[in-house]
Amino acid sequence: MGRITQYYHAASLEDAFAKAKQLGPVAAYIGGGVELVLRRNPEITTLIDLSRCGLDYIAATRDGIEIGSQTTLTTISRSADIRQYAGGSLAYWTGRIAHNNLRNMITVGGVIGRNQPWNDVVPHLVALGAQVRLFDGAERIMPLSGYIEAKQPGVIIKGVLLPAENAGSKGFLWRFTRTWQDISTLHFSALVSCDGKVMTAVKLVFAGRPGHATLYPRLSEELVGKSLSHETFARVAEMAPDLVEVGTDLRATGEFRRELVRAAILNLEEYMTGVAQ
Amino acid sequence: MTILVTVNTVEHFFDVQPDEVLLDVLRREGYLEVKGSCHTGDCGACTVLLDGRPVASCLTLAAKADGHTVTTVRGIGDQAHPHAIQDAFVKNGAVQCGYCVPGAITSAKALLDENPDPTEEEIRLAMDSNYCRCTGYEQQVEAVLDAAAQLRKGDRK
Repeated sequence: MGRITQYYHAASLEDAFAKAKQLGPVAAYIGGGVELVLRRNPEITTLIDLSRCGLDYIAATRDGIEIGSQTTLTTISRSADIRQYAGGSLAYWTGRIAHNNLRNMITVGGVIGRNQPWNDVVPHLVALGAQVRLFDGAERIMPLSGYIEAKQPGVIIKGVLLPAENAGSKGFLWRFTRTWQDISTLHFSALVSCDGKVMTAVKLVFAGRPGHATLYPRLSEELVGKSLSHETFARVAEMAPDLVEVGTDLRATGEFRRELVRAAILNLEEYMTGVAQ
Repeated sequence: MTILVTVNTVEHFFDVQPDEVLLDVLRREGYLEVKGSCHTGDCGACTVLLDGRPVASCLTLAAKADGHTVTTVRGIGDQAHPHAIQDAFVKNGAVQCGYCVPGAITSAKALLDENPDPTEEEIRLAMDSNYCRCTGYEQQVEAVLDAAAQLRKGDRK
């Protein structure tokens, strides 16, 4: 932060939105606040706290599971409903990424709002087909993948919906890291639906490339309708390094990341064929 | 701005700056048992319980604590009335230089409040925020297992 001169506890979504509209780009909504403290933005002078707006909830509905934007990763990891969703991958990882203190602070709305390229929650939510519920005077809902492509300043993230139709699929996440708590050199998430041993729907997401989370429908097409066999995954593992845009930064070279892309697909094979859990 | 925080069961009004972190406010107000070290949320030395859950006070804006409850290691037990976890840390050699211990004990307290019979893996996961460069962690894990056993017997609080 630069010099924060005002901290505003909003009493409702309407109150928060009106305040942000009044102040313009010098105001920022605050979730857990971790990123705001660590990476100070000199343009921000007012923080609008949403913690009193009733956004700390997890609710199972006919449409799926909705997670309020102020819900922490720890709370998500302990939810019985989320532990059942898509094999429990989201619950497992929200209980393990970063560390316990941060998991108690980081909110799902915060990570979506900041969407840092190294974030592990956002790409997994994209793979799970999550939708984001927004408030800008009125409520609307849109795919998370679309929201992170074109963020809308001033709009409040009210919650995230995990769609009911994906509840029976298998979620998968693989973080390539140097140490357990390290940020990912490459992040790979997937959601796979099967009919017997044939894959019927697949979503593949790479992040930390070092770019942001991106869906790779071309790779997914190569898996849909195919059997869960080594030949299927081996062919996609050969194609993937040419299709996934990776780059070089201080953490890894593009060449190294291309090898990780290949390994990621083979890790998915092991998971889906039951060799690894 | 003024915030109302209950620290170790006592209500306080603190005057804080909008961008001040909880660690700095607590230490300024005399809670010197809360240790500052990395100031980037990595090491766990500054761990306090916010409404019973461990957080990095170096990254928690003090304004976020308004209306909430904070517990420091002194609120868990002190020299005159040590908590079973504190005794177990001493008994098991989990205290060497001691700098990380307030944070480690605070994390352990939150774990045992929610899970009185944790596995070794659950202890390591619950205390993965707390760096210790002296003990190598083994003694800390043994201390928490020991404290959990003592507390389950019911003769310690």
